[in-house]
Amino acid sequence: MSLVPQILRSLKNLPPFPMVAQRTLLLLNKPEVNIQELVEIVKFDPAITANILRISNSAYFGLRREIHSLHQALLLLGTQELLKIIIASGATRVFAAPTPGYFTERQGLWRHSVSCGLMVDVLCRELSLPDKATGFTAGLMHDIGKVVLSLFVEQKFHEIMEVVEKQGVSFQAAEKIILGVDHAEMGGEMARMWDFPDRLRLAITYHHIDKPEAYTDDLILLVYLADILCLMFGQDLGTDGLAYTGYPEVLRHFHLREKNLQRVLLQFGSAWEEAQVLFGLMGQQDGIQRVNRG
Amino acid sequence: MQIVVGVAEMRVSNQHEHVVITHALGSCIGVAIYDPLVKVGGLLHYMLPDSGLDEEKGRENPFMFADTGIPRLFKECYKLGAVKQRMLVKVAGGSQVLGGPEHFNIGRRNYAALRKIFLKNNVLIGKEDVGGTKARTMYLEIATGKVWVKIIGQNQKIIEL
Repeated sequence: MSLVPQILRSLKNLPPFPMVAQRTLLLLNKPEVNIQELVEIVKFDPAITANILRISNSAYFGLRREIHSLHQALLLLGTQELLKIIIASGATRVFAAPTPGYFTERQGLWRHSVSCGLMVDVLCRELSLPDKATGFTAGLMHDIGKVVLSLFVEQKFHEIMEVVEKQGVSFQAAEKIILGVDHAEMGGEMARMWDFPDRLRLAITYHHIDKPEAYTDDLILLVYLADILCLMFGQDLGTDGLAYTGYPEVLRHFHLREKNLQRVLLQFGSAWEEAQVLFGLMGQQDGIQRVNRG
Repeated sequence: MQIVVGVAEMRVSNQHEHVVITHALGSCIGVAIYDPLVKVGGLLHYMLPDSGLDEEKGRENPFMFADTGIPRLFKECYKLGAVKQRMLVKVAGGSQVLGGPEHFNIGRRNYAALRKIFLKNNVLIGKEDVGGTKARTMYLEIATGKVWVKIIGQNQKIIEL
């Protein structure tokens, strides 16, 4: 019996995407972002403002001088970096629930998602592409479908794993076989309901490049590659392990050889250390309260 | 007491109450060595096969690479009185994504680098659990030298190596 109707019904209870992050996502497509626009979005959200200052002053940026105000952060870090911070701090609520179908650790999905965003940045630098906020955001959001699908994967985990092991297909393909829908499709559907920009929605939908449409945008291929590299790096792996397909044509497309991948992993190791403040955005409830009080 | 070994890190111990543990091995490899006579053991979690990729990084953190990390693991255990001939060696990790073996094969290369180093130095691998698509967590109990591998999954299967 197909679970699809039941799964789609569960989408009816999908909470809205956090408003600050939502409004910030809309700025991703603009070639020039006005600093004032960003200030307008975040200035009434003390928790996000506090996060911006904390992240700006962390090892992630390694600035020599201390940043005291939102304006100073904007001037010193630039709009693209600020967009990343705002979206990451704004989106935490969506990742707050545990996803036991995929991760045994409560914050596993959040940690994997942040890692993937960072990995897109590291990849962009290796490829001499600008590490814009769109890439980081697509990495951060790529597995958002797991938030909803976790419940169903948890119920059918053994059947899904049996398909992975017996048929040698990816975990995502096995989800589709057993549940009738996979986490990438699910994420695409959620992105549609949340009115994400099209490029972001498509990167979520096709991040396992299981359909030809995946090849229409390098952003999708970058997110795919970043995800695979995160699995290889290993930290915060889920119950699905490394059961995803490696496509050599994507490496060829970017002229990446194995040495490049090794170098990306090496650089990611340092980036990951420095970005602990981003992982820590989850579970900072007392921090938020402190800010609100005072 | 749990002693956690992060990515590109190593810990050695002769404290009986210690369990040395490394989480979430993907393509990385965990190497546990143990001298049962003096009850000294160590666990290394390296990420890449060869420090030739970035020699400066290799000097900065030898535990990043197989060729710089594995010798250091043995040397640090010798300092605590372990002797090479008595060492029991167990290995886990080196997973790969699906698809052809000739790409995305850092896991396999990590394992090959380890085998080469061990062959050159006459070290035998006692037990191993490598390859496949599984995510693994590895434990070394200093009191006994027992090594366990936990397969990350819904029922958290644990096997003793």
